[in-house]
Amino acid sequence: MKKLFVLLFVALLLSLGQTAMANDVSKGIKVGNAGSFTGDAAAPCMEIYNSAQIAIDEWNAKGGIKGQKIEQVMGDDALDPAQGITVARKFTSDDLIYGVVGPPVSHIAQASLNIYGEAGLACITTAASKPELTESPFKHFFRVNARNDAHGLNCALFIKNNLKAKKVAVLNEKVAYCENLAQKTIEELKKLGIKDIMNDTIVAGSKDYSAVLTKVKAYKPDVLFFVATAAPDQAIGVRQAKELGIKAVFFGTEGARDKKDFIEASEGAAEGAYVYHFSPDIYAIKEAAPYVKAYETKYGSLSGFGPPAYEAMNILLTAIDQAAKDGDISRKEVMTNLSAVKNYKGILGFPVSFDAKGDLLGGATYIFKVKGKEFEQVAILTGK
Amino acid sequence: MEDIFGQLSQQAINGITIGGVYALIAIGYTMVYGVLSMLNFAHGELYMMGGFTGWWVLQFFSSKHQPVMNAAILISLMILAAMAVSAILGLVIERVAYRPLRKAPRMNLLLSSLGVSIFIQNFILYTQGAKVKVFQVSNLIPEGLRTFHVGDTVISFMRIFVIGVCFVLMLLLTFVIKKTNIGKSIRATAQDIEAAAFMGIDTDRIIVIVFLIGSALGGAAGILVSLLFTQVDYYVGFQAGLKGFTAAVLGGIGSIPGAMAGGLLLGLCEAMAVTFFPSAYKDVVAFIILIAVLIFRPQGLMGEKIREKV
Repeated sequence: MKKLFVLLFVALLLSLGQTAMANDVSKGIKVGNAGSFTGDAAAPCMEIYNSAQIAIDEWNAKGGIKGQKIEQVMGDDALDPAQGITVARKFTSDDLIYGVVGPPVSHIAQASLNIYGEAGLACITTAASKPELTESPFKHFFRVNARNDAHGLNCALFIKNNLKAKKVAVLNEKVAYCENLAQKTIEELKKLGIKDIMNDTIVAGSKDYSAVLTKVKAYKPDVLFFVATAAPDQAIGVRQAKELGIKAVFFGTEGARDKKDFIEASEGAAEGAYVYHFSPDIYAIKEAAPYVKAYETKYGSLSGFGPPAYEAMNILLTAIDQAAKDGDISRKEVMTNLSAVKNYKGILGFPVSFDAKGDLLGGATYIFKVKGKEFEQVAILTGK
Repeated sequence: MEDIFGQLSQQAINGITIGGVYALIAIGYTMVYGVLSMLNFAHGELYMMGGFTGWWVLQFFSSKHQPVMNAAILISLMILAAMAVSAILGLVIERVAYRPLRKAPRMNLLLSSLGVSIFIQNFILYTQGAKVKVFQVSNLIPEGLRTFHVGDTVISFMRIFVIGVCFVLMLLLTFVIKKTNIGKSIRATAQDIEAAAFMGIDTDRIIVIVFLIGSALGGAAGILVSLLFTQVDYYVGFQAGLKGFTAAVLGGIGSIPGAMAGGLLLGLCEAMAVTFFPSAYKDVVAFIILIAVLIFRPQGLMGEKIREKV
């Protein structure tokens, strides 16, 4: 009988720990940043961490949240899913952590998804694009970057509305990412009323696409959507298309946003070609100028990974701030506030809203045009 | 219908270009098989080395992607250097990896050649990196000469050049094999290596010459393709080797005219297949043709029936 009581007591204690009661704000406020800060992805992840830190510094300079200075905790998974789980356990067991930015790597986010989910700790990723991450029963996972499948819709919209195409050729590599993107784009093009679509495949690294491009030439499309992973293959594609005298507008995928391996390697053939990408040309967005300046003076040059992290941290802190208004705060409140985010205007060039799953509403796809030796951002598409 | 004809003539040009290159690679396989009855699986790597050598020469003689000398001389230099380096490498491979195994079972030679292939591939990966090397060739060809139009068919200068060089090399080889003493000795050695030795032919020397010629042609194929498609990386040899081997078997392994015909046929079939089937089935069509030929003509298109030597 005594044993039973002890068991019940332990169970009660455990369940208390699980529900994580509301805390007094005066105990302190922390946010986690989960990422691969050592290993092959260290450079982009440090950019994410530093950008989030800029957002925190700005909040702290304004007096923090209810007078409390916010503290960012780094959780390094070293690009290893097992360590990603350790980071998740560390974060979820720290009562003062109310939200997490990251993890940015899809398969690590997947491995730790349930741990964050069970603890009800909100996560905003800035780069993980695998669709399944927001398809789980948990409602804690948000993203400010587009899912892979959102790009398909946006590319179709761009082909129809901006390029005014009536006849489209889609060539894709036979790998999961390319095949999914091509299928999704074709599906959406059909919904938009474009019926003249030719689809064929290419083999990555084969260096000769002239046979399949000859077929494309005979089809006489307005747009050639060239879906390949790596920039060198796209450079060959655009070059051989030009050599064969294909008049269609060349539209490449995110891998092609590479000055050396696409623009330079195609020796002028890429001029006027379009590519899509998941992150913006931050220098073209007026609202982002103070952030860019702060980052570059403190940490050096910026690639595409920082801006979404700055945005994500600001959104997270806004949600925490709202939750802390009444003097106490819980993870559940933060999660609820995040799912209610509508039209948040930050630095990404479009208002951020989350849909019911926690995905960026409409996604965001940035379109660039090759001009001389540079990529020029010409459009942002968000599913409309 | 006109569309299909327009397309087929374009595909014929695509096919002949790549077919000529397959033929050059196939010759290397077939010559070595002729004298040693072994499959030299390291041959694809000689092709890759040809591409890399050409790139090194191009880098050495250009500054900021602009060639510092006459383009015609530079291209010739690239081709000659590629052939020389591949030939020397071929000799080294023969001396180090094959000659010690001359008396060993054929399987050991085969494994040795696979080992050499993996070694060269990884050596290049390690020293040159995995990134693609880009040939800035547009500066080598004057603007007006880059493409020609015949009706709807487009042919680029580089394609004409590649087809031309392939045929010149093949003619040259045919002349050497048919008309010179060395050619006669190679044919004799291929027919019966022991009998040739009895007749006073230095068969070791002939084997060296065979490796020299085969490797040089492989290197030439590598640089020609690199000039045409403007990229080379450490992995290109695998695919090229497979295609060259297929072409050699298709034409009848051991037969030099067979290798030439097999290469052209394979290239043409691949290009034509794309017109009628999804392009991912290109290789499937090529290999179905190979299987069909082997069922109805096991010795290949031009191969001779080999009687089992007792």
